[in-house]
Amino acid sequence: MGAEVITVSTDTKFVHLAWQRDEKELANVKFPMGSDAGGKLARMFGVYDETAALALRGTFIINPQGKLLNAEVNYYNLGRNIDELMRKFKANLYLQKHEAQACPSKWKEDGDKTLTPSAKLVGKVYEALK
Amino acid sequence: MTEAYGCMTCNVGATVPNFRLETYEPSKGDFGEIGLESQMASKKWTILFFYPADFTFV
Repeated sequence: MGAEVITVSTDTKFVHLAWQRDEKELANVKFPMGSDAGGKLARMFGVYDETAALALRGTFIINPQGKLLNAEVNYYNLGRNIDELMRKFKANLYLQKHEAQACPSKWKEDGDKTLTPSAKLVGKVYEALK
Repeated sequence: MTEAYGCMTCNVGATVPNFRLETYEPSKGDFGEIGLESQMASKKWTILFFYPADFTFV
């Protein structure tokens, strides 16, 4: 899909290796595991917890032009929904090709209804989505 | 907390400054490096997935 998922924690690359090799749940992991020891990148994205010296559960989608299009941050005790991440990513891909449109909250994939903001649409979103 | 860089989370729509990370690449079983500039040069989307720590429960 022309996307690279990079997982990032403040662990070193050596610990990443040990964890991936040790934990059977991670046996099929293909994505690069980034080391942000010191938390520089986590600070840049505002997800660095100075007290614990750990990164919060932040997810960021950056387009090929380097623009940040989505930011989601969860506290330690709430996992992320991968289906929702994929929905957002697919919507971004779609919107990159269809700049005049907008994907509403229930949009799931190409072919689902979108909205094209215009004077005619004002006050008529219900009808447009029906 | 993030004065030196500004906070990207509060700046959706902004251009992300270049960054580079050392990596472990399970697909190669080897170490590597990845950066935003190289991602952009190969016209790829980048999804950053932060989590607290290895050997915990993602």
